[in-house]
Amino acid sequence: MNFCSTLLRLRNLFQKNQLDRDLHDELSSHLQLHIDDNLRSGMTPAEARREALLKLGGLQQSIESVRDRRGFPFLESLLRDLRHAARLLRNKPAFTAVVVLTLALGIGANSTIFAMVSRFVLHSAAVGDPSTLLALHTTDQNECCNSFSWPLFTDVRDNSQSFSGVTGFYELLPASISGNGDPQRLWGQATTTNFFDVAQLQLALGRGFRSDEQSSPVIVLGNRVWKSRFNSDPNILGKSLTLSGHPYTVVGVAPPLFRGIDLFLDTQFWVPIGNIDQLLPNTSHFDSRDYHWIVVAARLKPGVTHAEASSELQVLAQRFAQAHPNTDRGLGFRFEQAGSLPPRDKNAILLFLGTLMIIVFLVLLIACANVANLFLAQAAGRQHEMAVRIALGATRSQLLRQVLTESTLLSLLGGALGTLISLWATNSLSAFRFPVPVSLDLNVSVDSKVLAFTFLLSLATGLLFGLLPAWTAAWRFPSTALKGEDALARPGRFWTLRNFLVVAQISMSLVLLCVTGLCLRSLRSASNINIGFRSSGVLAMSVDPRLHSYTPERTVQFLAELQRRVSVLPGVASSAVTDALPLNGGHRSDGIQALGKKPLDPTPSAELYMASPGYLDTLGIHLIHGRDFSNESTASPRVAIVNQVLADKLFPNENPIGQTVFGGGVNYEIIGITNNIKSRFLGEDLRPVLFRSLAQTVANDPSFEGYTVLAATNADSPSVTASVRSAIRDMDPTLAVFNEETMEHHLRGALFLPRLAGTLFAVFGIVGLLLAAIGLYGVMNYTVSLRAREIGIRMALGAEAVGVQRLIVRQGLQLTAIALAFGLPAALLVAKLFNSILYGIQPHDAVTFISIPIFLATVAALAAYLPARRASKVDPATILRSE
Amino acid sequence: MADSKLDLLQGTLDLMVLQTLSTLGPLHGYGIARRIEQVSGNEVLLNQGTIYASLVRLQQRGWIFAEWGTSDNNRKAKFYSITKRGRKQLTEDAAYWQRLSIVMSRVLSISDSEEGAKS
Repeated sequence: MNFCSTLLRLRNLFQKNQLDRDLHDELSSHLQLHIDDNLRSGMTPAEARREALLKLGGLQQSIESVRDRRGFPFLESLLRDLRHAARLLRNKPAFTAVVVLTLALGIGANSTIFAMVSRFVLHSAAVGDPSTLLALHTTDQNECCNSFSWPLFTDVRDNSQSFSGVTGFYELLPASISGNGDPQRLWGQATTTNFFDVAQLQLALGRGFRSDEQSSPVIVLGNRVWKSRFNSDPNILGKSLTLSGHPYTVVGVAPPLFRGIDLFLDTQFWVPIGNIDQLLPNTSHFDSRDYHWIVVAARLKPGVTHAEASSELQVLAQRFAQAHPNTDRGLGFRFEQAGSLPPRDKNAILLFLGTLMIIVFLVLLIACANVANLFLAQAAGRQHEMAVRIALGATRSQLLRQVLTESTLLSLLGGALGTLISLWATNSLSAFRFPVPVSLDLNVSVDSKVLAFTFLLSLATGLLFGLLPAWTAAWRFPSTALKGEDALARPGRFWTLRNFLVVAQISMSLVLLCVTGLCLRSLRSASNINIGFRSSGVLAMSVDPRLHSYTPERTVQFLAELQRRVSVLPGVASSAVTDALPLNGGHRSDGIQALGKKPLDPTPSAELYMASPGYLDTLGIHLIHGRDFSNESTASPRVAIVNQVLADKLFPNENPIGQTVFGGGVNYEIIGITNNIKSRFLGEDLRPVLFRSLAQTVANDPSFEGYTVLAATNADSPSVTASVRSAIRDMDPTLAVFNEETMEHHLRGALFLPRLAGTLFAVFGIVGLLLAAIGLYGVMNYTVSLRAREIGIRMALGAEAVGVQRLIVRQGLQLTAIALAFGLPAALLVAKLFNSILYGIQPHDAVTFISIPIFLATVAALAAYLPARRASKVDPATILRSE
Repeated sequence: MADSKLDLLQGTLDLMVLQTLSTLGPLHGYGIARRIEQVSGNEVLLNQGTIYASLVRLQQRGWIFAEWGTSDNNRKAKFYSITKRGRKQLTEDAAYWQRLSIVMSRVLSISDSEEGAKS
């Protein structure tokens, strides 16, 4: 069939009525002509008509034969089946709703997880021709993966033949942008001038960097910054803005989808790499072959394969290793398509997503089993209909097709609703904020890939759960169905496929629910963990004076003055300055040993925090011995306060006060001991902590994440927040204020993991519970319809409604009991796996493992009771008469 | 329509219809059917209804087109005419059939004479 006739046929399909009329007219005219001829040859009118009809082969038969030729008989009957199916479903709204909802939950869960896969695994960078842009890494003795040093980058750039361009950039450049409103802290990248050419990126406005602009103060803005901060100003090119106190000229605006080559980072501006000294002052080893700081991406020359590039890089690595044995020994290179998962985290992420995929796929399978069960129950009721249709001449394949059409229609409806669910779910997933200081783009959305996946999955689902009932409907029933006998009923068998499916479902959902319960209980107890410092009533906001070319001395003066000004604000009880709050996932740490003692092995690693005088007070950390910081200066000996754990470790049997410890090339005299605090994560065992004097540390070991001013408040925090912010602005209006948060907010971030686990499993647990309840309901419903006659007879013989109800509910509870017997040990086993993310409760938490089964049993009893009640309302006379 | 015998018959009927339209000009379905019956000396037992399936098929391929008109004795009827592409197809098909019929008759006569030789 060629294309043209396909089109004609398709058109015919939709102009069916008109064409039918036309054909009818034509055949009538044919008959008329023939009758005229016959009359002329002397026949009687009746004879003439009869002869003409005979010759034509019957009017209706001719119409049929032409019709088959004309359209797609297959499509027409499909449409007919669809209409029939739609009518059936409309007539059973409850059944339809339950099935569609069940499938929507299963399919929605799958497309949500697939949206994550699509975003993080199937994603390619938003650059021109992503397939030939490679992200390069160095390896050390095959150990993956590190960035490049500047000299190594230039060596690769100048010596490799496989690439048409090689670009390097510093990936995480903090800066504060000012002009046009409040100063704002942004994350950008400092790139070689060929960056946008190698990326083959079409900018939304303006241009990338020219090759002579290596150190020019020019900037390409990210699309979002351009929109939010500059109101999408179309004339922004050539305008000047202030970046960390230096004037920069805007030369371009990135396209909306481009947020850097990396998969996760949310880069908001790009500047030429020659400006890095200016934007990251006090860091001077950029030229060292030892200092790996530059990220490299390279564009493959057309026609060069990955294998060729790889072997060339291997040769280069050996050459560099010989030329620079001190720094490059064991050097190797590795690359993957730019924008892929970072090689270091790849396996973990794939494992995580794979596990989720398996879980949601199981949920979908359960849903399918469920719906197949419901369908089987329906099929029992429809045997009579099917038998009648076969008797009227429908073929078995027609019946099969009819049932499959019905199941597919249901699954597509389920898929549509599932898409809505996954829209909602991806939205809420995207709202989770990772507790890291840099800005990440982790938005998950329903894209075209996800839609295609959902569609195919729905189709497959429909065929899957439709096949068994369809098979049964078309083949399994004998002609006795016509006589009103039920071929599917095989009373007396307990371990039917249906019952087995329901038991499996209930056990699975018990496992899911138990894990959910554990996660929720752990979330509760995590919020009650004693963290060792004040959990509320503290405000924090950060500034980074280093980005504004403050000298260390000026930084210290500034911070001290800021602390003084904040402390006298109304509503502020005390204030302090530090580099970072505890419980931020890990900040800085160093090995610490006691001076003049036998070094401990392994060296105890202590968390390092800078603290101003008043820090302990403000955070509510209790000083057990010694004194707080006072007015230390860089000239006086370095002092530190340690927590109990570190003190006990280094000085088990003596007074630590006055002793000296060293770490990171600095000696500290211990002046105080505090209680223990949680420093990295909530769930951790207590770690050694060492507080250093802020004033003594800024010069030698500056913070790369800025400094945080803390205010313990005894009043309403919004007004205090505003006044702290204006205190900063009064001192230096160009400083960007960032990470503004209350302690409650900060701790919510620390609860990220338990919250994520709690939410995910709460969702899956509820879905599992719903499915199990629906499954049990379906089976009990079916049982009731099978036993309708028996129940009718029982009631006719005098059984009471309550007795009948008990009969049905008992069968449901039997199934539930078996399921619980299987599910409980399984749940206990699975719970052990979650040990590492549970806070403050045991994996065999008694509350969870007693209350969840009871809860589940209650739901199951309810699911069995509804059909039981229906059964007991049956009028025995009606049942007996219908037999 | 998987039966090969049926396919051959259909092809034959299509060719007859094309040839009829090519020689007689625009004609309605009944006229075509009558003409084929006459020409074949009533040897083809034609179920006239099948003509219309053939006409639809030829229309879909763009070899003929149809329009409503009036017959000689003033009856409304649908008239079919052959198109340029139809004529081209007819030439090709006719040549094919002629070759086939020559070959067929040759083959049949060989087998006849061989059988004769044997007996």
